[in-house]
Amino acid sequence: MEKEKRLAQLLALMSALNFSVILYYALVPWITTRRICASFSGYDFLAFARQIPPRPWIVPLLAIGQYFVLCVLSYAKLKWITEKFMHRLFVCFLELLLCAGIIISLGFYYSGIALVVLSDLVHYVRNSFYRLCFIAALVFMFAFGQYEVIFPFARGIAFNAYLSYYNPVVKGILSGAESFMASMNILLFTVYMILLFTGQRAENTRIKKLNDKLNQANERLRDYAVNMENMTEMRERNRLAREIHDTLGHTLTGIIMGADAALVVFDALPGEAKKRIELIAQTARDGLNDVRRSINALRPDAIEKNSLDEALKTMFSNFHLTTSAQIHYTQNAGELRFASDEEDTIYRIVQEGMTNAVRHGHATEISITITRNENMLTIYVDDNGVGCPSVSEGFGLRHMKERLDMLGGLLVCGNREGKDGSRGFYLLANFPVREREGMHSD
Amino acid sequence: MTKKRLLKFGGIVLVLAAMLFGCWKLHSEITITVGVYAGSYWNTPNGNCYQIFDDAISSFEAAHPGIFVEYVNGIPTDFYSEWLAEGILKGEEPDLFLVMPEDIELFASSGILKPLDTMMAEDPDFSPSPYYEPCLQAGKFGGTQYALPYESVPTIMFVNKTLLQQNGISMPENNWTWGDFYRICRRITKPEKHQFGVYGYHWLHAVYSNGAALFSGDGKSCYLADQRVQDAITFSKHLDAMNQGYTVTARDFDLGNVAFRPFLFSEYRAYQPYPWRVKKYSGFEWDCVCMPAGYEGDNTSELHTMLLGISARTRHKKAVWELAKLLSIDKDVQKELYVYSHGISPVRSVAEDDEILLKMREDIPGGGSFDGKVIRRIMDTAVVVPHFDKYEQALRMAESAVLEKSDTQMLAAQREIDIFLNGS
Repeated sequence: MEKEKRLAQLLALMSALNFSVILYYALVPWITTRRICASFSGYDFLAFARQIPPRPWIVPLLAIGQYFVLCVLSYAKLKWITEKFMHRLFVCFLELLLCAGIIISLGFYYSGIALVVLSDLVHYVRNSFYRLCFIAALVFMFAFGQYEVIFPFARGIAFNAYLSYYNPVVKGILSGAESFMASMNILLFTVYMILLFTGQRAENTRIKKLNDKLNQANERLRDYAVNMENMTEMRERNRLAREIHDTLGHTLTGIIMGADAALVVFDALPGEAKKRIELIAQTARDGLNDVRRSINALRPDAIEKNSLDEALKTMFSNFHLTTSAQIHYTQNAGELRFASDEEDTIYRIVQEGMTNAVRHGHATEISITITRNENMLTIYVDDNGVGCPSVSEGFGLRHMKERLDMLGGLLVCGNREGKDGSRGFYLLANFPVREREGMHSD
Repeated sequence: MTKKRLLKFGGIVLVLAAMLFGCWKLHSEITITVGVYAGSYWNTPNGNCYQIFDDAISSFEAAHPGIFVEYVNGIPTDFYSEWLAEGILKGEEPDLFLVMPEDIELFASSGILKPLDTMMAEDPDFSPSPYYEPCLQAGKFGGTQYALPYESVPTIMFVNKTLLQQNGISMPENNWTWGDFYRICRRITKPEKHQFGVYGYHWLHAVYSNGAALFSGDGKSCYLADQRVQDAITFSKHLDAMNQGYTVTARDFDLGNVAFRPFLFSEYRAYQPYPWRVKKYSGFEWDCVCMPAGYEGDNTSELHTMLLGISARTRHKKAVWELAKLLSIDKDVQKELYVYSHGISPVRSVAEDDEILLKMREDIPGGGSFDGKVIRRIMDTAVVVPHFDKYEQALRMAESAVLEKSDTQMLAAQREIDIFLNGS
């Protein structure tokens, strides 16, 4: 920001300097013409110059007028920032035309104005091809827009011819001022360019540093997520252990104790034993309810509220929103209504599969297919990521396997290499679903 | 609200109408400026120098309604070129201006004169054939026509008739030669009686009438060592040698002691009519003949032509061209040259008009010797001396070479001048 301000100040200084140069080149011929005519040496001057000058008042009018428009354009460019490519190109083109116009109306006495326009445009044009074109055009103008260079084709009187009218002292002062201003212009231009490029380099290093920092932060975040997962898993196990201990342990203890008591009184007091057994049955039922309740507490919220199909779709859209990966979902298994542990398993496998695809495989497209053949339900998750060099079970695969084991299912996974060269990671899980009728009771 | 809107609408219509009117006015009414000098370029008394222009302008304005012509009064002849140059520098030069013979090269090369070739070719009413070729040639630079001829003046030879009669010599014919000229001078020249053959006959006069030129038309080469030029120089040296070292002056001629003196035709025109002829030379009768012809040339004389140039920056190209044409080629305008000026019209039919020539001869006792045929001969054979940047300097170099160097050194002198002409 500091640097930008300094650049703007430098450009303003260059503009002011060039205004005085234009004034100098526009007014010296005018004033000299008046002096020549006042001293009746017009014929001698014309015979010396052998060219006709433009009408003297036209030069200051055109040159200063065009320079004014150029300055307004340059200033307005800072004030009203436009992002449209064509607008920006148009502005640049206009500045280029004005630059050429000023050089021509000054009779090719001065081409340093091209450097001001170059400073103004060099970081305004973003497209590198157009920038190169503009730089080439302006450098061409600077080099060839001079009377001495294009002399054989030039019309109009050489500036030196006007200077030669004066005595050596005045001539010396005038040409001294002239070369001083020209060198100052080049000096300012050089300083501007140095400042601009060193500024750009500093900016680049700063961006690179920031980028590194961001990468490090991401790395840490990833580690943190893994830790978090492990911790969550641990806590969940503890909770399960506690739950089992509290509910099943309690119930089973009650059942064992009740059964023992029933055994003791079975022969002597059959009535009492029956009562006890009824109590055991009640305790077991209560225990089952407790177990169900704790399992329900573990179920994903989504399935709790909606059907599995809806829950999956919600998950896909959320996943797409958070990772921007494309999800292709194919469902050929009819109505997805299973026992809650089966639904949980399906949900978790799909979730874990997608998470792995993006986290480890950096996939952008994931296809998920759920099919059912008789009682056998198959979940196939496939992605276009980089795959996994060595499949370790840390990525939640063990969890899936455990879940599937409980349902009597299988899990197969690995890197996929298609014939068309496509790569990725696939995951195939299947398990037999239980009869629906039996499940309706829960 | 409606009233306000009506007012607004009315205002816009009014402004548009005013703009349209302004544009129409700008296009319908134009003013052409003309550059003219006061007095005569030919150094002859001229009482009514603007009359020709006034008459031409009024007839032009009558024929072209909406076009007005203006000129600045009272610019003396010797200041005219400076005035024009200042106008050019300030961008205020007239649309149409007289160009003096010596300025055509500067103005044409600096680009202030509009090339006329395309306009001449495209105008069906214009043909260069009515002009004498040398007059048209005077307006050319680098093969391009930059100006139209307005008035021409050739160099002719003044003759002191009284002196010839006293020596028993008859007036020479218009087709006389160097031999005749030399013989008459030989008989007249008697330095002991302070009586001489010729005053002011420059070797360049001899060069032109010997069919030669000192410089090429483009001013890039000098022909000093050319045999015809050498012959002319030798001839003029022989004439000088007769005077036995005495330098003849203009006063000798005025006193009636010299038989011949080259003069401009305009002087003849100005001083030939009655009161002037006595005022100029009271002691003797005088008349004019063509310049004497050299061994290989004709009775050729140097021709000076006043020209009309159009500014390259004029905004009314067509109208200015019409006016230039009127001034240059219109017979009525050109005829007035014989009333208000002292040159010869560059237009053949006017210059050889019997009525005009008759009127001219009426003033001269004995009728004078210039009839249409003589005029045609002078004008057709006249040479236009090229003017170029280094002309004056190169001429001075040639003159000093003629004066100081022997015939064998002429080739070296010519080379030296060539180097000067082609140097930067």
